[in-house]
Amino acid sequence: MTKKIIAVTACAAGIAHTYMAAEAIEKAAKAKGYEVKVETDGAIGAENILTAEDIENADLVVIAADIKIDPIRFTGKRLYTTDSNAAINDGTAVLEKAEAEATVFGKKGGKVGKIQIGSNKEKVNFFTHVMSGISYMIPMVIAAGLILTIANLYAFQKDDLGRIVKWGFDTKTPMGMLMSNLFQVGQVGFKLMIPLFAGFVANSIADKPAIAPAMIGAYIANDQELLHAKAGGGFISAILVAFIVGYFVKLLKKIKWPKILQPIVPIMIIPFIATLFISLVVFYVIGQPIAAGMDGLYSGLNWINANSASAPIILGAVIGAMIGFDLGGPVNKTALIFGTAVFTDTMRKYGPTHANFVPGTAAQAAISVAPLGVWLASVIWKRKFSKDEKTAASAALGMGLVGVTEGAIPFVAADPIRMIIANVVGSATAGGLVAATGCKFYGGIGSPLGTFIGYIEQPIPFVTWIACVSAGIAVTALIIGFTRTDRVIEAAEQAELGND
Amino acid sequence: MEKAIFDNTHIYYDHDSQTQVEAFANVAKFVAECGYVTSADQYCQGLKDREIEATTGFKNGIAIPHSNDASVIKPGLFLVKFNHGIEWQALDKQPIKLGFFLTIPKDGATKHLKLLSKIARKLMDEDFSRTVIENDDRDVLAKAIEEI
Repeated sequence: MTKKIIAVTACAAGIAHTYMAAEAIEKAAKAKGYEVKVETDGAIGAENILTAEDIENADLVVIAADIKIDPIRFTGKRLYTTDSNAAINDGTAVLEKAEAEATVFGKKGGKVGKIQIGSNKEKVNFFTHVMSGISYMIPMVIAAGLILTIANLYAFQKDDLGRIVKWGFDTKTPMGMLMSNLFQVGQVGFKLMIPLFAGFVANSIADKPAIAPAMIGAYIANDQELLHAKAGGGFISAILVAFIVGYFVKLLKKIKWPKILQPIVPIMIIPFIATLFISLVVFYVIGQPIAAGMDGLYSGLNWINANSASAPIILGAVIGAMIGFDLGGPVNKTALIFGTAVFTDTMRKYGPTHANFVPGTAAQAAISVAPLGVWLASVIWKRKFSKDEKTAASAALGMGLVGVTEGAIPFVAADPIRMIIANVVGSATAGGLVAATGCKFYGGIGSPLGTFIGYIEQPIPFVTWIACVSAGIAVTALIIGFTRTDRVIEAAEQAELGND
Repeated sequence: MEKAIFDNTHIYYDHDSQTQVEAFANVAKFVAECGYVTSADQYCQGLKDREIEATTGFKNGIAIPHSNDASVIKPGLFLVKFNHGIEWQALDKQPIKLGFFLTIPKDGATKHLKLLSKIARKLMDEDFSRTVIENDDRDVLAKAIEEI
């Protein structure tokens, strides 16, 4: 099949270089036997405009322009960008370079300058492993959290006037006994979720043989009695254990075991050695220092939250901002992991009444802000968005509603500075507001719909969460709307001129 | 090529200019005399401003300087032959021997702009560029351009 190349050329005056570059690319492509179509965005207006079908069928997109060409309609296509002179100078060289170096535009993990947006699926890294562990842990968090909450509600014993008089279970009544048992169930869930998490992080690194050692290691690292410490090491120790185990197991797998032993290496030898190893490491090396550090961190965090009214709001805003900054990239994942870590650790330590929900809740509130903000802006300022951008914005709506922050990536890739500012400010607003209103996110999806699909404790049921998240979305949309120029209008008017 | 944009009086042999600044000044004067711009100085400045954005010199000693400043009255093409090769920071670093100077009205009619874009495309044609580089005869040059 013939290779299909499409290109857009443009220059400052829109008179000469635009067309010379177009000619150069057409010639070079034809010489190579490719099918080619070049759109010239000159002073006359765009000519030979690439249709959606052209773009759909293209194998490669080349932009040779000295002015900014909005690449959003090429989302998902292999795109190479250069200036007009490069094409004029040597069209063939530009095509060859494009074939070698073009990257898929707007893909997760693409880069805008030095900022990686979205997670890079092909590149397995620290975050891939941690997120894998979290995904296995979340069902347990939700199940245990809900059961614990039910029990906890019952534990607030009220007098006849409805005042809370004491916290605890009256185990002499059957109902009290049941609730006490349920409370224990929740506790067990929270106790198990950290080893579960560690096991699956290690599994992500080194497969099945790593699960057992990581679970056992993480359990020890989190049990203050086993460690003879004041507190367990929490999430951080679980991550550390999982990575030590993961890479240790990887190493063990590299050993050339005698043939006769090989069948039992993954089910016996590796788990045995790795478990022994990690247990000793936890007991004698990492257990105590981390436990002490985490204890300090969480009591510090709780102390700040208890003693300063604005601290949770600032923390919430910062976490929100991080979520909006790179949309699933490393900064976003760091915030998400931090939120999850603080939530699970304090939940286990202090129970649902005193757990620190702030960073976890703020992170979830911020997740949908960027994609939904872009969508809202495209609905309000219809004329500031091109047809292609509107299509991308409806996709962002769908993704945003189910809490997929990556929906906004194409827009950030096309217009990084403005979009990152808009996303960060809006996301920080949502994060700060849920912290200020005291929403508590247990589990569910991070979008306005999370109030129905998930479990969120909030001052006014259902409403507070939606209001906080929507405020963030509105802020992002307003910033986008007011800072965008009327470029679509201009383009439309130019096109009309061209038809005279 | 339309006579209004180009005819054989639009060919200018510049024997004196040795630098781009001199070339712009001389050509601007010539273009003003032809009645395509109201002010030689303003057109000259426009050419300079455009050059600052990015060089208009490309390959084989050809440049395509142009300006759409307010002094431009109507669209035009002027072919200028330089006696001395002029340093232009061209793409191939070669001195410029031939300039296609364009005057572009700010509210340029589409028809004229299209013609100018045709010229630009034509410059990528190697036979064409060889003809205009190698020949100095006014009639031969005019004929090559009129065929565009």
